[in-house]
Amino acid sequence: MWSPWSVETKRLATALLLTAAGFAATRPHYGGTLRVEIRESPPSPEVFGVPQGFVLTTWEAGKRAIFTADDNAPGGRPFLDNVEVQLGRSLRDQSVDLELGRADVVELGATELRRQAPGRHVWSSSPVRLMALVFGPRIVDARVREALALAVDRNAIHSVLLQKQGEISGALLPQWITGYAFLFSAAADLAKAQALVAAISPADRTLSLAADDPANRAIADRIQLNARDAHLNISVVPPTANPDVRLVETRIAFADAAHALAGVAIALGLNEPPPARNPGEEYLAERVLLDGFHVIPLFHLPEVYGAGARVQGGPVITQLGEWRFDSLWVEERP
Amino acid sequence: MTFRTRLLLLFAVAVAAAVGVVEAIVSSRARTAFENMEARRVNAIVAQFDKEFQRRGEEIVRTVEGIAESPVAREIAITPDPSAYLTEAGTLASTNRLDLLELVAGDGAIVSSAQWQARFGYKEDWLPAEPDWQSRPAFLKREELPDSVALALMAVRTATAGDMKLYVAGGRILDREFIASLVAPEGMRVLLYRNLAPAFSPADLIDSQGPIASAVLLRPLVEQVEKQANEAVLTIGRGLSAETFHALPLKGSANDVLGVLLVGNSRRDLVELERAMLWTAVIVAVTGILMAIALGWWATARVTRPVRRLAESAGKVAAGNWGATVEVSSKDEIGQLAGAFNRMTHQLVEQRERLVQTERVAAWRELARRLAHELKNPLFPLQITVENMQRARENSPEQFDEVFREGTSTLLAELANLKQIIGRFSDFAKMPAPEMQAVNLNVLVAETMRLFEAQLAKAGIGASAQLDPALRPVHADGEQMTRVLRNLILNAVDAMPEGGALTVRTVAMGSGARLEVSDTGQGLTPEECERLFTPYYTTKTHGTGLGLAIVQSVVSDHKGRISVESEKGKGTTFRIDLG
Repeated sequence: MWSPWSVETKRLATALLLTAAGFAATRPHYGGTLRVEIRESPPSPEVFGVPQGFVLTTWEAGKRAIFTADDNAPGGRPFLDNVEVQLGRSLRDQSVDLELGRADVVELGATELRRQAPGRHVWSSSPVRLMALVFGPRIVDARVREALALAVDRNAIHSVLLQKQGEISGALLPQWITGYAFLFSAAADLAKAQALVAAISPADRTLSLAADDPANRAIADRIQLNARDAHLNISVVPPTANPDVRLVETRIAFADAAHALAGVAIALGLNEPPPARNPGEEYLAERVLLDGFHVIPLFHLPEVYGAGARVQGGPVITQLGEWRFDSLWVEERP
Repeated sequence: MTFRTRLLLLFAVAVAAAVGVVEAIVSSRARTAFENMEARRVNAIVAQFDKEFQRRGEEIVRTVEGIAESPVAREIAITPDPSAYLTEAGTLASTNRLDLLELVAGDGAIVSSAQWQARFGYKEDWLPAEPDWQSRPAFLKREELPDSVALALMAVRTATAGDMKLYVAGGRILDREFIASLVAPEGMRVLLYRNLAPAFSPADLIDSQGPIASAVLLRPLVEQVEKQANEAVLTIGRGLSAETFHALPLKGSANDVLGVLLVGNSRRDLVELERAMLWTAVIVAVTGILMAIALGWWATARVTRPVRRLAESAGKVAAGNWGATVEVSSKDEIGQLAGAFNRMTHQLVEQRERLVQTERVAAWRELARRLAHELKNPLFPLQITVENMQRARENSPEQFDEVFREGTSTLLAELANLKQIIGRFSDFAKMPAPEMQAVNLNVLVAETMRLFEAQLAKAGIGASAQLDPALRPVHADGEQMTRVLRNLILNAVDAMPEGGALTVRTVAMGSGARLEVSDTGQGLTPEECERLFTPYYTTKTHGTGLGLAIVQSVVSDHKGRISVESEKGKGTTFRIDLG
């Protein structure tokens, strides 16, 4: 599990702010509780970091965490008294809760982005989440993996399903961190994919795919369709069904390439690359990790949060997607 | 089997046959009526299906038209980036209660698909290929879904905004819910086969409850309809579970068979009706047969009594009682028959008496003729001799003594001849009963032939005896059998005036024996063979004609059989078989 609060935020520039117009400025004041909802549900508070300026006061595994303002925080006491985080809420539920005023800050997926009403606060980080296909040990034929890599039409998924969020990528690390991500091809080549599949025995053309996040089911369905065009028979199964391929998202927690690559490799079950001293070595290390098509990078996506009208101040997240609740306050409306 | 029994059987069979014919006719009429009713019910179901099909099609057309005319459709048609409308088809389909809905851009690329959201951007080339969708009614279409294929009733309309066009293709899946909407009469059911897979798939044959259990049984019918694109009929099952299915092809816009509508009609009612009729027929037949037997017993007794009397009288006539008569008790055909029988027996008696009289006269005439003939021959020399003696006494007294001596000698010889002729007739008249004892035929043949050795040699006849050593003694009268053999040998000698060969042969025949006498004489004609054993018949210029009659009489007395085999110019063989 990733921990947004473990990042060395001092090295980062100020958070990228993408806000809609009409964010009315009011005077900051102390008090109030910020209601936040997220998809993830960390198993223990240890892996669940603490936002800057707050301390963890309540932990109910799988349900909620309550952070209380630290009066002795190094940067001064936050305006908010408490931040209550609901765990394990689906993107759809979060969006509904935001609409109904039951939440103040929620994550926004592509579908939810399409539905956002004008004037809502939306903050987005740099592309810090890698979406990739990760093969399990049963798929031993590299041609199957390569065929699937060539069959996926990333452009259609990016344009429609992801609403052009983030960027298409064939690399593990995003372009803004390494500068060489464009060297890893992300283009589809259906003819070549079909030629590879034709050389594979029919029994090996059948595999199962699961999206770790139910929100990504539509992307899995599209990948299934693309695979069918290449004559690969993919069935989309639940994550608990021990699939041959998993559609995963992993967060890039470091802004420097070497640490980021190591973190991604570990998160995806790849061998940890050797320490790299320059961009050339970093590139080679990443190239080695991608050889064999055990992992097929698809997209680098930003963290996107939307806020209700009662939330003031901001931004909510940094460029790396870390929460910044210490600069927020809430307006209680009659 | 008696005439009465036959009449009874005839009555029973007639009743059973009549009942059977009636039952067959009634069954046939019932089956025809049932099939006509079945045809009407099938037509009603098909009409109902067509009506429901049309109603749903019109409903789908209206719904799709409504979507195509909606602001959102025009909005999607003109938007440069339709990706934001990815889920719009799903929303619209849900709102409008459509199972299938696709919003397709003017170039055929799917903007949004309710049934398969992931297919956005894929081309539906069949939509731009049709120039005018606005007037097209709903049609059947095989629609591919993410994990299956469905048969759907579809309609297409277009939303236009300036030069921009958006195809709205929506429809509903033909599934068990559609089947459930068809109200079938009791005993009938409606099935739908969705021709979705390359080969017959039992899971695609559904009724209002889902896939049916007996799908495999209907496979030939479905495949026949698919192949011929025409209606077909098949009956499955037997007895009460029998069911007749009428299958109709459901064609798509390209006239391809996309589905088969099957209307099943249980034959239970027909089978039960036929069984009831059969049982009724059996009961009627049994009752009728019993009544026929009872009535027949009484009726045949009346009918057959005079016939039986006739039969008894006929039997008496056959046994020799030609005077038997029948009592005439009625004036019907049987009475007439009895009268005719009485007249017939009366005439038979009269004819027999006339015949006996005639035969007796003929026999006497024949005997008189034969006697006259036989006696005339010796009488003529007697007359000549006496006349010679008279002439010699008057004209040549000196030679009278010599003439007298010669004449008396001749007279004595001719008188002996006359005596012999009379003796033969006497012998035939007084044929004694055989005295049976064990006789060795081989010995009898050898001794008899020895007696004829000189005569045979003088006549230039070579005699041979072929005696079977395995021959066992037979039960016979030795003296009479000797006479038989002697007569046959003499006949053979007479048949060979120029000489020849005589063969006497004995052959063991199981416990009996065969005796054959063959000559190489001039032989006999078939007509002569037939009359050979008739008394007084002879083919010779001399003889009484009694020889072979005596032979046949002896053989007959020995319970034996005599036959003759002859060929003109080659010889004759007499064959005697003794038990």
